[in-house]
Amino acid sequence: MIYDMKPWAWVKHVIFHPTEGFEDMRWKKAGSLKIAFFIVFLLFASQVFSTRYGGFAYNPRGYSDIFNIVPILVQSVAYYATWVVANWSLCTLFDGEGNMRRVAIYSAYALVPFIIGNFLSTAISYFLTLDESIWYTAIYQIGLWWSVILMIFGMKACHQYNFTVTIVTMIFTVVGMLIILILLALIMSLFQQVYVFFATIYTEILYRVRS
Amino acid sequence: MKLKNLTAVLIAAALSLSLMCATVSAVDPYTTYNYDAWYNALPSQAGYEVVQTVNYRDIGLERVQDPTSEFYISDDENVNFSDMKDFFVSKKGEIYIVDTGNNRIVKLSSDFELLAVFKTFPGSTSKHIVTDEEGNEIEVDADNLKAPYGIFVDEDDVMYIADRDNQRIVKCVAETPTTARILQEYYKPETALYESQSFYCTKVLVDAAKNVYVICPAVNKGAIMFSDSGSFVGYYGANRVEVTADVIRNKLWRKIASEEQIASLTKSTPVEYANFDIDDEGFIYTVTEVANATTDAVKKMNPAGYNILERTADNNSFGDQISVTYNGTTYATRLTDIAVSDDKFINILDYTSGRVFQYDERCNLLFIFGFDQEEQRGGFSNPNAIETWEDKIYILDGRNNDITVFGMTEFGSYVHEAIALHNQGLYEEAYDIWKEVLKRDGAYYMGLVGVTKALYNQDDYEGAMKYSKLSYYSKEYDKAFEANRQEGLRKNFTLYVFIILALVILYIVVKVLQRKGKIPQKLIATGIGKLADGCKNIAVSVVDKVKKGGRGK
Repeated sequence: MIYDMKPWAWVKHVIFHPTEGFEDMRWKKAGSLKIAFFIVFLLFASQVFSTRYGGFAYNPRGYSDIFNIVPILVQSVAYYATWVVANWSLCTLFDGEGNMRRVAIYSAYALVPFIIGNFLSTAISYFLTLDESIWYTAIYQIGLWWSVILMIFGMKACHQYNFTVTIVTMIFTVVGMLIILILLALIMSLFQQVYVFFATIYTEILYRVRS
Repeated sequence: MKLKNLTAVLIAAALSLSLMCATVSAVDPYTTYNYDAWYNALPSQAGYEVVQTVNYRDIGLERVQDPTSEFYISDDENVNFSDMKDFFVSKKGEIYIVDTGNNRIVKLSSDFELLAVFKTFPGSTSKHIVTDEEGNEIEVDADNLKAPYGIFVDEDDVMYIADRDNQRIVKCVAETPTTARILQEYYKPETALYESQSFYCTKVLVDAAKNVYVICPAVNKGAIMFSDSGSFVGYYGANRVEVTADVIRNKLWRKIASEEQIASLTKSTPVEYANFDIDDEGFIYTVTEVANATTDAVKKMNPAGYNILERTADNNSFGDQISVTYNGTTYATRLTDIAVSDDKFINILDYTSGRVFQYDERCNLLFIFGFDQEEQRGGFSNPNAIETWEDKIYILDGRNNDITVFGMTEFGSYVHEAIALHNQGLYEEAYDIWKEVLKRDGAYYMGLVGVTKALYNQDDYEGAMKYSKLSYYSKEYDKAFEANRQEGLRKNFTLYVFIILALVILYIVVKVLQRKGKIPQKLIATGIGKLADGCKNIAVSVVDKVKKGGRGK
């Protein structure tokens, strides 16, 4: 097989060769950060699509006028970013060989089946009744678990771990993600209070100056 | 001539005045609302409006002090009501008011004329021990009430009164306009099954078999049930324990803890229900007066005490959906009384907000009316009880000392008519009426549901889909969608088959040509690539041109 492929062909190769694809990609030093970020954008788009669209019986909430994009942004882009940061921070300590660029690329490539499943299941729900929801669920679940498997092998190839260590580090990565998110929330509320403090001082001074 | 002119002007003035009055009375004094499928409150039409308020002056209760009147009791008898806790409207429309603070029962006709003021109740079998002024304990005939809290009247005008502080139920019948003879008394059951020390009964109810059901707030095993003869039968229809974090924690502890530790744990007990009502078929409806109760807030029980609403209700939340904090006070729904009308509409009274929530027999919310501005007509301060008679709703206010009568509006009667047909499954018959309802309130949830079902039955699936989307009724949408899809497939079957066949033939033809070498392999392999390259080239050249143009300038 010829491994001199165009960047997009690598995505396809990786998806359809779960166990070997990432190793090949690592060996050829392939994988594009641009494509990775585009995939993350697609992830966000697919989440928006599945929240806002779909057959009425499947997603009546999508027909409500109220739509908040922030939770979706957090659920896609923010989760991805924290995953990358947490995984890299953890695996550098666990003798992982991947650098952050690679973690970012491999994780993003692994998400493609989930994105496709998400788009497809939402699209197909326009043609399905609730009794036939098995098709909807099947497509969604296949995409999801395909992505999970890809993610496992991606991380395995990225850090050159054996299977067990990969699983363990992935579990700890999730814990790390939680810690990062909690810290972020804390910092945000702290900064808000600091801001309020300075704002109060400012108004106080303003009153003194004026009177 | 002049006189004629004057009369004409007068008539015109009178006419315009009466017209003005008409317009004034047509506007509701307060805004009514209803909930949509998302439980958002939306302004809605009023189903009921205030017809009349009745206080002691309107019924001439001063006559209890008038020695010439047949209602004369004594010179210092209170002429006003005092802290009325309950009332009952019989089938004939006669109103029995429990005047708790004055220890008497006031009976009115359906036109609010005074019929009787029952103050003395001779015929008691028991004596009461009272301490007189000198400190001696003396026995007195228990011929008066002491803080009566509830009343029920059966079809033979036999009154059952929950005589709270005397700890008894009095079964009595009218003798004179001021006295009622006691036929029977029900006291605290003397069995081991009855664990409570007291018998402070607050509400009473009698079924067709003359079983007496009594609510004591201290007893949480359900209503205390007596047979006709007065013997204790058992408990009826206890509430379940509402599952809270506390309850789950206690349950877990019980698994691990020792006997002594368990004894020190608090017991998870259900909340007793506050009030009940019985319909013509013998179903007993109960309400639980706990802020925002979700478990067993409203029950409809069959004679076995089984809550049939669990199976038949379309909706399981009652009262206002969220607590509101206003001026530092939190207002949460407290369902204090329930009244079921003859045509099975369930009316629930919220003590906090003074609102009445009317549901149909399947618990679909129809109307919300009434409010807590006591100074205004139709507003309540201590709404203690609700009753229905024909299409009217009576509400008793224990602080304002009056009864407010609500009558149905045109909108209300439309909804009632339509919902009656709807619940019988006569959706198409209800269609026109629902359309009238929707003309008046375009977001009326039950109206949208009714139209959806009617259109579905008329095989207008597109319309059914449209209306089910409006009401966010996804189940009904699914049915209509399935039928619509099937219909579309059947209509265009030939077209679909033709398209599929054409695609298959095209595929075969291409394959055959390919094998014969008529289509160069390269074209197929790179056709798409070439197309993309071409596009790219064009794009690049365009960009170049633009850039050059920019430079040229």
